[in-house]
Amino acid sequence: MDVRWSRVILAGLGACLVLFVVGPLLRLLLESSPQHLAEAIRDPELRASIALTVVTATAATLLGALLGIPLAYLLARRSFPGRRIVQGIIDLPVVIPHPVAGIALLLFLGRRSTVGGILSHIGLEFVSHVPGIVAAMLFVSVPILVSGAREAFRGVDPQLERVARTLGDTAWGAFRRVTLPLAGRGILAGSILAWARSVSEFGSIVILTYNPKVASIFIFDRFTAFGLPAAVPAAVILLLVALAVFLLVRVLQPEEPV
Amino acid sequence: MNLQVKVGSFHLRDISLEVPSGGYALIIGPTGSGKTTLLEAIAGHARLLGGRVFMHNEDVTNLPPERRGIGFVYQQYHLFPHLTVRNNISYGLTHRGVRNGAAAARAEQLADLLGITPLLDRPVRGLSGGEQQRVALARALAPRPTILLLDEPFAAVDPSTRQVLRRELRQLHEREGITTLQVTHDFDEALRLGDLVAVLSEGRIAQSGAPEQVFRYPNSAFVARFVGSGNVIAGTVERSDASEQGAPFRGRFQGDNLSLDVVAEREGPAHAVIRPEDIVLSLTAHPDSARNHKEALVTRLERLGPVTQVHLDVGRPLIASVTTASADEMALHPGLRVIIALKATAILLV
Repeated sequence: MDVRWSRVILAGLGACLVLFVVGPLLRLLLESSPQHLAEAIRDPELRASIALTVVTATAATLLGALLGIPLAYLLARRSFPGRRIVQGIIDLPVVIPHPVAGIALLLFLGRRSTVGGILSHIGLEFVSHVPGIVAAMLFVSVPILVSGAREAFRGVDPQLERVARTLGDTAWGAFRRVTLPLAGRGILAGSILAWARSVSEFGSIVILTYNPKVASIFIFDRFTAFGLPAAVPAAVILLLVALAVFLLVRVLQPEEPV
Repeated sequence: MNLQVKVGSFHLRDISLEVPSGGYALIIGPTGSGKTTLLEAIAGHARLLGGRVFMHNEDVTNLPPERRGIGFVYQQYHLFPHLTVRNNISYGLTHRGVRNGAAAARAEQLADLLGITPLLDRPVRGLSGGEQQRVALARALAPRPTILLLDEPFAAVDPSTRQVLRRELRQLHEREGITTLQVTHDFDEALRLGDLVAVLSEGRIAQSGAPEQVFRYPNSAFVARFVGSGNVIAGTVERSDASEQGAPFRGRFQGDNLSLDVVAEREGPAHAVIRPEDIVLSLTAHPDSARNHKEALVTRLERLGPVTQVHLDVGRPLIASVTTASADEMALHPGLRVIIALKATAILLV
């Protein structure tokens, strides 16, 4: 087959897939008029759910960053026994169906479980409470954050830290003044992706904390109770939020060479 | 300054090296001989399995790298890519709480010394090899280290820049008076820069001393070959006159199709080291004080500016060196038969 034809076929197959992704999103955006959107934005329930989503996703990301960035550094820079196992465990949530994750979290953090029981004693309730949303979001987003930060650290030449040490800087100083600024963009991009993953989570939250409703559950609730027209404006608003985040990540990530 | 390093790792064994305060020492050795590992051990990056490191009579073996007062210039420079040239140079000052004004003044002073003032506010991306090397040197010198470690600092720059940098480095060393330890695989660098040279072979110091001394009197065939002392020939030494007692004695060196009168200190297997400039060439035999005269065939001429290397065949290959002027005068050319004269005392036996 001649090269030109093979290119046409490859491009055709690719175009089908691109259209399959863009089509439904465009259709959704066109479904709602600006008046509908303005009305939806004035809906206090939708506003509350979006605010709740943003706050919980941010909390889950900050918590993930606090615990995940040091781990990512260890995974990138140090070899220790069980490193591959730790790496595997961190990646595990990616392959677990989200309702399964929700059930597992329910069993682990529910009041009748040991951990959940202890935590409820100090006033931390998960099931049907806001911390449950944060826990579910953390569980599903942590692989994205850790792998993003790990790759960012791997991209920084470890010799630079050694140079900083010979210039009189401590190990922590060298990390803070050299490695962290150089890995910063990659870590931030990974964190934003993890945040977006938290915003889009539905499957595990629906099991752990149906109420108060995050945006994805709010849309599902409107759809089942009042049908498609009631769900569309909220869906469009969530889509716009997601697109804005996506654009931000694209700007932060350096372009991959071809 | 006192520097003793003993590293019991895979690479280095029983290294003992003392660099005088303010001195310039070079460690030379082939690739894989453990040169960089030695510097890393001194800097505190590599773990010592035994031995101690002393600086100015202070045992620094257990100090972390940041408390050893060293400056380290790496072969690949490793400038901080997120900082400007100025901030690279002042890195070692600002984080220690040196006032911004004082740090800036020191950065500017070093930039001026190294001729990189116009680069101060540039990012480090896009600097040439020579420029990066100067920035790396200024950065290492800024905190006034007590010892400067240089890992093949001229390996990645072109030959003309290398010459200029060598000269600048020597001037800087004299001006700042910092004890310097440089790693290189180029003995020429040791001859031009160092007060002291240590030849490293398979993790051990094969010989150390003044560069000229090591070059003239290598203590082994390995050192002689590595520093380019000249022709190295394996063979055996026999006493010429059995009635003669003591050492040194007159002897006969036999090896590889070559028999030479020598002055030896011991009998048995030895390597003869013959410096190319000690071989005297002439077109006709005439009496002189040299005890060895041989006929030789010129096989190749290598003109190296003012000096010409003459490749000879005396039953085995031998290299002599003459001034290009006398090579022209004698009309040396491949195929010409010449007479070589060599003093017995000029043959070094190791």
